[in-house]
Amino acid sequence: MEAMSIADFVKQVVMGKISVVQHTEQVLSEIDSTNPKFNHFNLIASELALQQAKEVEAEIKTGRHKGKLLGVPISVKDCICVKGVESRAGSKILSGYRPTFNATVIERVRAEGAIIVGKTLQDEFGFGTFCTNTGVDFPTPLNPLDKSRSCGGSSGGSAGFTALTEFTHAGIAESTGGSIACPAAFCGVVGFTPTYGRVSRYGLMDYANSLDKIGTMGKTVADASLLLEVISGHDSSDSTSLPEPVPNLGEGEGDARFKVGIVKELFEKSDESVRKECEKAVAQMEKLGASVKELSLPLNSEYGVAAYYLLSMSEASTNLAKFCGMRYGLHGKLEGSFNEYFSKVRSEGFGKEAKRRILLGTFARMSGFRDAYYLRAAKARTKLINEFKEVFKEVDVLVNPTMPVVAPKFSEIKKLSPMQHYAMDLCTVPANLAGLPHLSLTAGTAKKMPVGLMLTADHLQEQNLSSAALSLEGALK
Amino acid sequence: MSEEKNDVIIGLECHVQLDTDSKLFCGCPTTAEEPNSACCEVCLGFPGSKPVLNKKAVDYALKVSMALNCEINKEFFFSRKTYFYPDMSKNFQITQYEVPVGKNGYLTLSSGKKIKIERVHIEEDPAALVHESGLAMSRQTMVDYNRSGIPLVEIVTAPDMRSPQEARDFLDQLTTVLQYLGVFDEREGTLKVDSNLSIKGGERVEVKNITGKKGVEKAMSYEAVRQKGVILKGEAVRRETRAFNEKTLTTRSLRTKETEEGYGYIFEPDLTAFELDEKYLNSIKQSLPELHDSKAKRFVQQYSLDGYTAGVLSRNPHLGNIFEQAIKSVDVALAAKFLTRELLGILNYNSLSFEEADLKVEELVGLMQLLEKGEVSEKNAKQALIKYVLEKASPRKFIEEQGLKKDLDETELLNAIEAAVNENRPAVADFKKGEKKALHFLVGKVMQSTKGKADAREIQKKLKERIEAE
Repeated sequence: MEAMSIADFVKQVVMGKISVVQHTEQVLSEIDSTNPKFNHFNLIASELALQQAKEVEAEIKTGRHKGKLLGVPISVKDCICVKGVESRAGSKILSGYRPTFNATVIERVRAEGAIIVGKTLQDEFGFGTFCTNTGVDFPTPLNPLDKSRSCGGSSGGSAGFTALTEFTHAGIAESTGGSIACPAAFCGVVGFTPTYGRVSRYGLMDYANSLDKIGTMGKTVADASLLLEVISGHDSSDSTSLPEPVPNLGEGEGDARFKVGIVKELFEKSDESVRKECEKAVAQMEKLGASVKELSLPLNSEYGVAAYYLLSMSEASTNLAKFCGMRYGLHGKLEGSFNEYFSKVRSEGFGKEAKRRILLGTFARMSGFRDAYYLRAAKARTKLINEFKEVFKEVDVLVNPTMPVVAPKFSEIKKLSPMQHYAMDLCTVPANLAGLPHLSLTAGTAKKMPVGLMLTADHLQEQNLSSAALSLEGALK
Repeated sequence: MSEEKNDVIIGLECHVQLDTDSKLFCGCPTTAEEPNSACCEVCLGFPGSKPVLNKKAVDYALKVSMALNCEINKEFFFSRKTYFYPDMSKNFQITQYEVPVGKNGYLTLSSGKKIKIERVHIEEDPAALVHESGLAMSRQTMVDYNRSGIPLVEIVTAPDMRSPQEARDFLDQLTTVLQYLGVFDEREGTLKVDSNLSIKGGERVEVKNITGKKGVEKAMSYEAVRQKGVILKGEAVRRETRAFNEKTLTTRSLRTKETEEGYGYIFEPDLTAFELDEKYLNSIKQSLPELHDSKAKRFVQQYSLDGYTAGVLSRNPHLGNIFEQAIKSVDVALAAKFLTRELLGILNYNSLSFEEADLKVEELVGLMQLLEKGEVSEKNAKQALIKYVLEKASPRKFIEEQGLKKDLDETELLNAIEAAVNENRPAVADFKKGEKKALHFLVGKVMQSTKGKADAREIQKKLKERIEAE
């Protein structure tokens, strides 16, 4: 049975044909039975979800039921703060951290009647591409289409459960360098990452603040778009939040009549089977009315990954400094000096990749190396953004394979060196570094696994992305 | 001696708490009674929280920069300075590194010498570490986050000062400017200084975290003597960081690391760059008050005051205002004397600020008018002023009620003198023998019996005449 779209589900709820409480119970029982096998959730918020469901149902009975997400089960990536619910960003060091406040996105979906069902698994603080860098004592989420393969990362649990569930569902996810698009592609769902600043980061536990973007995961373009519309918009609690009005994404119509640019280098650097599926999808777009041309992003393809990792690790190494076992999260036995104490807590609480990124990031910003690494990467970033700005004078939408491969097997991932691991982000990193909105949807299948096509638009052009993706999605069905 | 003095080279980094209502990056108040009662997720550095810049702090920092004759950076941003310390809620401090608000300014000392200001930047104060039974005795350290996130401006000077006294004078001038601007409350806010001292040709020693102006002068005096002692012994002064002990007035070595610590500055990615437009800058510029040195100059020119009195009157913005209000109806010399000697004396003696004393200009003027017309003696005027400053009793009323008005006629005074002479023959005899003290004693007696309504000088004159006539 195919799950209903969010829009249809909400209509049924409003008409009283679906009981929100019963539906929530069913979803929770599904999670309870699937989670031991797939590990998509860090925490199942059964009590909170049922309480919210009862409140929503009571509200419906009083006739006050205008919410766009009335009774819709929403999962939340672990790095996003939910008041009173343990939020760990996938890290042992945040064990027991129950935020005293809700992230702005949580406030927004709650205001529309959504039900928060739990916190989804992720690479620790978002540090990974395959959800294999989960925190100390955390399991690895498995791909619902093939349990021997990765869900992708870092929003792996979010994409995995969105693909797995039989019920209407959407996920609030987060991307720093491709953490929404990658798992969406690997699990065969839609991942929508907005323009940097479109969605408030208040309540997001930082990986790299100048890159972090909260976005959405949906079974369809319409679902992902609707949820994005709800969480978007200016927030005075986040200084980097944009003031521009939010376009109507939820009720958008498909339209293919865009100027589409094929990013040559990113097609060339992808596996042949992946490339072929993406080319077929582009041909489909052309058939639907798009004008397609090939273009080149030489700087982004060459320097994107390096600039991204230098900046993101530099910022991450400062963000992670606050975790020292003093005010929240993991505590240790109080002994030794302050330095000895926090070093011990951090040694125990951080996983291997987190430690690697703290070391590399600290190195890149230390005096003596700062000019050569951190500052140079920041300068490169400006050049890379300008390269995008040039091509967007000619086209509306850029397309490239989301990932150069289909979801790899865990046995394959083990063989990757850290550098090969980082290089996998080649296609998603440029748009993320430039803060551009992008969307991944399934273009086809290769090796029986979904292949993701990534659409990128200029800053604040989410509406174009949504329209182009809706049209293509309809044609590919 | 003077040669020795000139060998000393001092530079200062002053951290001034800005007198804003709320903190630099959140809405928490800057004052609180209970420890850890004025803090939220932002100043506690909870994961997920984000800073939002308090524009008032930027206004204040701009005022300070302008008053210190700095060039203003029209676009500036914030940076993260990362180091691990238990008073740091995030283990990084949001500060300014590459581009501060102001740079290349100066402040003029009372001698007229200009001290170069290298930069003025904004940063957040860390939390306060509390040791209940003193640093040495406490078995535990407690953290009070009420201070975490209070806005500071850091003012960095060039090494332009040549003596601890010059450093003190710099800080006096600086705090006067800050109070004129209304951005610093000397009683509530703290001034913390990192002070560098070297003897010409020697290594630089930094004394960290000195509280207050007196502390800086004492610490620098000690350091100058210590370093000269080292040189006298034929040794070289080590480059190091030292701490100042306020009780023993000495400094001790903290660390001797040669290079600057690696703070690994990055741009603060949670805040956007701050851009100033001309309109905004002009509005700040226009809001700047006349500062003390130009006010003092004006007082000399406009009211023919001597430089010293003009300096004292303009030192405190409130005093200058009261003075200018008063002289609309009272003689300039009388007002100047009354305010600088009597009023300031009473305030200083009772350690009261103008804010605390909360004086009404009309009441002060009323009292000065009585004085000017000769309706009250100086002694009784002072008594009324003390009553007013401490108990808010209206001076006019007080004088009225206590019958202190100088309504004594000539006969009453002469009668009082006659009585004093007759009742104190031994003193009269002493005076005749040439003991001046005896006359003061007699004057006192007359003052007593006339309730201070007559002026001491007049009594003295008349007493002398009376005794000499015997």
